[in-house]
Amino acid sequence: MARVAIDPITRIEGHLRVEIEVDSGVVKDAWVSGGLYRGMETVLQGRAPADAFYIAQRICGVCPISHGHASTMGSEAALGIKIPNNARIVRNIIEGAEFLHSHVLWFYTLTALDYVDVVSALSANIADTYALAEKAGTTTADFGAIQKRLAGFVKGGQLSIFTNGYWGHPAMKLPAELNLIAVAHYLEALQIQAQAAEIIAIMGGKFPHFMTSIPGGTSWVASEQRLADVLFRWQGVSDFITNTMIPDTLAIAPFYLEAAGYGKGVGNFLAWGVFDDVSMDPKKRVMPRGALTGLTPFDPKPEEVTEFIKHSWYDSGDNLNPAKGETKADFTTYDLNGKYSWVKAPRLNGKPMEVGPLARMLVAYVDGVAPVKALVDGALGALSKAAGKKLPPTVLVSLLGRVAARNLEAKVIADAMGGWIGEMVAAVKGGDSKYFVEATQSDGQGAGLWEAPRGALGHWVNVSGGKIANYQVVTPSTWDCSPRDDAGVRGPMEEALVGTPIADPTKPLEALRIVHSFDP
Amino acid sequence: MQGLDARLSLAGVSRREFLAFCGAAATALGLGISGAPAVADALQRGPRLTPAIWLNLGSCTGCTESLAQSGTPDIATIVLDMLSLDYMETLGAAAGTQAESALDDTLRRGGHLAIVEGAVMTGEAGNTLRIAGTTGDALLERVCRDAALVIAVGSCAADGGWVRARPNPAGATGVLQHLPQLEPRLVNLPTCPVNPEWVVAVLSGHLLGLPLPPLDDLRRPLTFFGQTIHDNCPRRGHFANGEFVERFGSLEESLGWCLYDMGCKGPVTRTDCPRVRWNRGVSWCVESGSPCIGCGSPDWVDAGAPFLSRTNAVRPGIAGLRPEVAGEVVAAGAAGAFAIWGVVETARGRLRDTMDSGETDRTDHEEPSGTLKNG
Repeated sequence: MARVAIDPITRIEGHLRVEIEVDSGVVKDAWVSGGLYRGMETVLQGRAPADAFYIAQRICGVCPISHGHASTMGSEAALGIKIPNNARIVRNIIEGAEFLHSHVLWFYTLTALDYVDVVSALSANIADTYALAEKAGTTTADFGAIQKRLAGFVKGGQLSIFTNGYWGHPAMKLPAELNLIAVAHYLEALQIQAQAAEIIAIMGGKFPHFMTSIPGGTSWVASEQRLADVLFRWQGVSDFITNTMIPDTLAIAPFYLEAAGYGKGVGNFLAWGVFDDVSMDPKKRVMPRGALTGLTPFDPKPEEVTEFIKHSWYDSGDNLNPAKGETKADFTTYDLNGKYSWVKAPRLNGKPMEVGPLARMLVAYVDGVAPVKALVDGALGALSKAAGKKLPPTVLVSLLGRVAARNLEAKVIADAMGGWIGEMVAAVKGGDSKYFVEATQSDGQGAGLWEAPRGALGHWVNVSGGKIANYQVVTPSTWDCSPRDDAGVRGPMEEALVGTPIADPTKPLEALRIVHSFDP
Repeated sequence: MQGLDARLSLAGVSRREFLAFCGAAATALGLGISGAPAVADALQRGPRLTPAIWLNLGSCTGCTESLAQSGTPDIATIVLDMLSLDYMETLGAAAGTQAESALDDTLRRGGHLAIVEGAVMTGEAGNTLRIAGTTGDALLERVCRDAALVIAVGSCAADGGWVRARPNPAGATGVLQHLPQLEPRLVNLPTCPVNPEWVVAVLSGHLLGLPLPPLDDLRRPLTFFGQTIHDNCPRRGHFANGEFVERFGSLEESLGWCLYDMGCKGPVTRTDCPRVRWNRGVSWCVESGSPCIGCGSPDWVDAGAPFLSRTNAVRPGIAGLRPEVAGEVVAAGAAGAFAIWGVVETARGRLRDTMDSGETDRTDHEEPSGTLKNG
């Protein structure tokens, strides 16, 4: 029995500590602790709803668009504002660009180093690398030059961000040539994520932290020239996802098929849904609203969300719905039997829920959303071939499925985004010049229930006399990284860690894979 | 390994690209393009990459994200070829004990750069930020003690940023406020997030062995923070003409008119956003139709909110410029035109008072650049 603490968890947004109990090479128990409290909800009290849009998005520098939108939607719900159709389309495109930015950055920059041995790429045979890329149907690069760049870098003895990585770890399974392909695409992805972010900058001023999705609509006005600037960047990002990211995923997955056997988590899934169509019905969003226990769907009710704090460093009401939620910091000590995290424990009808691309893709799959069904069935077919047996959709409830779902979702969103740009062009050509409506009331309560790339996001806003009377946020990582609840039930990431094989407890790479699969 | 030149060839960077970078760096540092050879010489001197530690304190990771949006050099060049970023939580391959040992090794060798993102969290005896069994403020102190240079990136590191906004529930503050002894070797680069081009320029200056650039009393480089947004705003002509956007998403916005009435903090915000722009130069806040919210100003949330209302604090023109800074700027010859333009505008009565809605300006049109249709 060995107790292993991983702190800091790197390649995430924020500050996270994970403790695992390892016995006979398998994780028997796990605790996830959030290390940072800033007090956003308290800062927002008494401010104007529009100010909340600018401030609240700064909860997260990787997904500020989602927080900005959830904040604005919360204010709009509270004040009874119905936004013009143009604003809906503009928000979809900006949100979509953030999802593509985030998913590309996550796969290549954040989690790839858990699977790709950068040092091993030095021993790749260049001719074989080209042959492998062709066989995998993925894009090529100047593999020789990249290997030379890497060699010079390693010879120099200063590995910078690659210092002390898990090179040569027994859980690294890729052949040298595939490692080199992945390193080449790691570098290319750095350009692609920036290209996706440029779309946000064009329509929102800058990224991270954008300026235009204020309550009432958008302050950005479309023109054909600006839409052309957006279109060509979307095309580049979309091509990368289709021709590089998806083939890379399917090339790497066969070497890690055992990851379909663990990392299952709590098996309950929640999606508030994201990307509205013209009906503005959350169930008809491109990634629709829904919840699952196993693969059985049910309607998630926002009023059934409560947050527990028995194991979190707060001294405020327990088991409260966010509409009436409280946040009062009270650090005691780090105690795994008592309080051990700055993250609260949200539950839906008392149950822990996994949120994120896997939740969204499963909800959409069960709902019969056509492009999702086609992509998931296609990927299952490819993986079944590699495994030599037919794999059912339930195999996705695993580490492998959580990684694959995010990359497949990038393809769904990239394709949908082409449609939104087309809608916007049609609106400009058709002379629809409405982008913004004024609020007509100054009191009310509402919630912006939306999705960040990493999962279901809610901003509950209570406005009184034009000022925010109460504000509560439940982020995706609050759901996924939650500590135990008052009944002692583990959060989704804690539960997913249990059962994970650990080859070397001093280098717990496999546990990092589980943590990163949630993209916290 | 024979210095940067050899590293460049191994990195597949051509001599030409290298010199182009030196030219850009020299210009950004205020040396002018003729400074490029000096930049090249200095960069080729060192046989080792300068070690750097990037700390995330009470942050949203937005400044790291912003660095990843850098134009030339791009993020890969910065973290692989310019610096050895030995500890960086967001991008580092190592986690846990492996990350901590990389940090220990770098601190033992010394001579490192410390780049700090996020507010210093002092609430709950520092426990509002816990990293690797210690508190964020303790880690900050350890990393900065022997750092050759400390760069506080973003408004949170500069003065606590939004995290310090009323009522500051987590006890946030800035790096310099928390460790005043760092002043001689600290540079503040506020805005939320930081503009990556400024980070690259300051890093380049340090790698060149140059003294710190001229700084204002908030330790901000005057090159980037010496003038207001209003001074360089492409919509300035519309301000002079009295052409204002009065409603979001309007025809006036499509014509690119001035956002002053929408609460723009450009007249009191000292950054060069209109020139440096964002995301590899594709746009910036005002160009997207949003008023500036002043995210580079001290205490920006409480000083600027409500963001969409004109405030009495907004006093455009000479009145908003502190004399000592104006002196330096004008002496540097960088913005003589600014001062003259301000005087001319003031004299001609075009500067709008902040106390009323300035109806009279409506009659003072001069060469309107767009025509209102259907309006």
